[in-house]
Amino acid sequence: MNSALWLAPFLEFGFMQRALLGCVLLSVSAAPVGVFLMLRRMSLTGDAMAHAILPGAALGYLVAGLSLGAMTVGGIAAGLAVAVGSGLVARHTVLCEDTSLAAFYLLSLALGVLIVSTRGNSVDLLHVLFGTVLALDDAALALLGGIATVTLLALRVLYRPLVLECLDPGFLRGTSRWSAVAHFGFLALLVINLVAGFHALGTLMAVGMMVLPAAAARFWVRRLQPLLAVAVALALLASASGLLVSYHADWPTSPVIVLCLGATVLFSMLFAPHGLRRPQRPARSHLQA
Amino acid sequence: MTHLPASLPRRTTTLAALALGLAALTPSLHAQAPLRAVASFSILGDIVKEVGGDRVAVDVLVGPGADAHVFQPTPAHARLVGQAQVVFANGLGFEGWLSRLLKTSAYQGRPVTVSQGIPPLKSEAEHGHGEHHKGHSHDEIDPHAWQSVANVKVYTRNIAKALCQADAASCDLYQRNARAYEAKLNELDTEIRAAWAPIPVAQRKVITSHDAFGYYARDHRVSFLAPQGASTESEASAKGVAQLVRQIRKDQIKALFVESISDPRLIEQIARETGVKPSGALYSDSLSAPGGAAPSYVELMRFNTRALTAAVRGQ
Amino acid sequence: MQLCCVNIRTIAIQLQYLSANRPVPDFNAPPRPPAIVLHDLTLGYERHPAVHHLSLTLPPGALVAVVGPNGAGKSTLLKALAGQLPPLGGHIDGLGTGQRVACLPQHSGIDRSFPISVQELAMLGLWHEVGALGRYSAAHRRACHEALAAVGLLGFERRGIDTLSGGQLQRALFARLILQDAPVVLLDEPFAAIDQRTIHDLLALLHRWHAQGRTVIAVLHDLAQVREHFPHTLLLAREPVAWGPTAEVLTAAHWTRALRLQEPFDDEAEPCDTTAHGVPA
Repeated sequence: MNSALWLAPFLEFGFMQRALLGCVLLSVSAAPVGVFLMLRRMSLTGDAMAHAILPGAALGYLVAGLSLGAMTVGGIAAGLAVAVGSGLVARHTVLCEDTSLAAFYLLSLALGVLIVSTRGNSVDLLHVLFGTVLALDDAALALLGGIATVTLLALRVLYRPLVLECLDPGFLRGTSRWSAVAHFGFLALLVINLVAGFHALGTLMAVGMMVLPAAAARFWVRRLQPLLAVAVALALLASASGLLVSYHADWPTSPVIVLCLGATVLFSMLFAPHGLRRPQRPARSHLQA
Repeated sequence: MTHLPASLPRRTTTLAALALGLAALTPSLHAQAPLRAVASFSILGDIVKEVGGDRVAVDVLVGPGADAHVFQPTPAHARLVGQAQVVFANGLGFEGWLSRLLKTSAYQGRPVTVSQGIPPLKSEAEHGHGEHHKGHSHDEIDPHAWQSVANVKVYTRNIAKALCQADAASCDLYQRNARAYEAKLNELDTEIRAAWAPIPVAQRKVITSHDAFGYYARDHRVSFLAPQGASTESEASAKGVAQLVRQIRKDQIKALFVESISDPRLIEQIARETGVKPSGALYSDSLSAPGGAAPSYVELMRFNTRALTAAVRGQ
Repeated sequence: MQLCCVNIRTIAIQLQYLSANRPVPDFNAPPRPPAIVLHDLTLGYERHPAVHHLSLTLPPGALVAVVGPNGAGKSTLLKALAGQLPPLGGHIDGLGTGQRVACLPQHSGIDRSFPISVQELAMLGLWHEVGALGRYSAAHRRACHEALAAVGLLGFERRGIDTLSGGQLQRALFARLILQDAPVVLLDEPFAAIDQRTIHDLLALLHRWHAQGRTVIAVLHDLAQVREHFPHTLLLAREPVAWGPTAEVLTAAHWTRALRLQEPFDDEAEPCDTTAHGVPA
């Protein structure tokens, strides 16, 4: 293939290299978290979390003005508070995970809007807080790299407890004391991946990279470890392609990357071994046993 | 033939003196209650204050440093507007939230659109394409008409007319203030043109993050290049950024400005890519705080011009 | 003969591991369950008792069936023995922290659509050996192979659990129980909605555990199974009705008494004074 199509943009422009690196880091970090998110039936959490971090960002803004560092730290704190609070409520009361999360994020969002309004200044905080993949500076890349490292290490440590927590939580509670660690550790991973993603790449990309590769991978493989690997691979492929398409077609980058991820899901749904194709065409012959 | 009396009877004199005294007092009685005006944003508020002087108490909705594109009015704002006697708005689509605010407040009249009579500019964002414009040209009007001093003269006249209608008694004062301000504006215009005169047109290229300077660009033949659209909502495209970077490298553009309200990171990325150091911030949509560099419209234009010319010259 | 082969294999594994200086997983060590003593135990929900003043001693290594009408508190008793339900009154001796109890609840909260294979599910029973971070050794994999063979699931190792029938999933859960290697095993209606062949195989497994010296307590509804396979029975109808050798417990007189149990909780009931209730021998 003509290398001018896919190699030249990265060689010519530093910002394209950074964008690619940012995509790689986020793929490696968010896609595995997204697989567990999907298995726990919590895929809509990402969008809720984007609203839930507002009071933290607002408080950061009150304290330090338009400082991205302060607002991001505030956002992480608010996100963790919402995640942990809803997790505690889900574990110890009759409410299920989705309802408790909805309750907490709405509370958080309303609080955030209140804080922003009483300050009197109508700066669009969330817009300022959410970055774009084309504007990754060294600090943002370092943040993404750090988050990726922490995520991979945590998933290595929490792998078995997390599997049990999703598969048979009663058994885990009876066998060991890792239940709470797995549950809240996972929520913490979720929050830092989302907030770091928002900060560096904007909501659309952060949530998209988490949810869509997992959904696509589900159509290809049936075991957990291959799921994780395929999700990461699809995320890498789709984000690099999206970046190139955005470059050549002069379309805004984040939506195109997410559209590429979505196209991957649709393609997988139609043509992958475990997609829609399977029940339609019965096998021409069957085995003896 | 009747003869006029040689001197007025004493009673008539006292009465006349009383009447004159009262007549002298009434303007100052009027002066006790200034006209309540509300301006939609800080720059407009400043101009209204210039024209209205002491007779007008101006409240501003979108204060210094705030973003009018995403402004969300509160009940306090609705109260202000309801109690106002005149409301001034820029128009040209700048205040998308105003019609709803006027409906919810009890404001009786219609808002004064100060940009009436100004030939509007299309929001042609030059995304570094050079001469040819792609099919994605915005069909929106560029609302930042105040960036041209000539337009602000029209603003002044419209404001004076509106104030006269609301408060006929002080009309002379308003007209006088307006004329004095227009003289100041003429001076300002000359100043700006003189500042740009020694710089060749080919060199007048500036990068900003916000397409707010269309009118300024037209007046003084400066090219403002930006990777994003006119408001703070549109997304950047990789190709747009790439073409901008190429153009900067080709034309050796040295002026790079980050606007105070929006996310500076994209511009900083471009700065890193091209080796151009950002030259600070420009004031586009609002004044600075009272102690800052651009507390009034005239100061704002002076500051912007100084910053632009210095950056373009490579200082 | 089979036992001999197992022993030789075990010795071989032990030698291999001794050389590598690693702790040896010993799957043939006799478990030493404690005697479980219930002292005037009352269990319930929101002050309504589901088990009322139960006192008895379960000898170590007992194979016990718990029977009774619906709502008799059988599942509640098992929950308390598993440590999941704090008592409203009285206490349990012998099952403190550190005592491993393997439990198979009535409605296992397993997510059957989870992408995991039968082998991986069974190996989760080895948590007490490897913890959260440890690696599975060859010995562990061999033990898993044996466990799956014992429940009749050889050849199913790589199958996803979402492809299993009800009976097959229950067998897989039993394989996990085997690998848990716990001295005390609690089973809550393990044979509900299971085919006869599976029941037969799993009952054989219960006998093997009993032979190994583990305490096995099972809640059951099929009295024929109880009469045939379980030496001891507790007949529970919220209050203990009878406890002891099965033949003596499962009499018509005892059953009549048990069936007089009032099922619903009475909101108007008086508070109970906690004098111990006697347990019929």
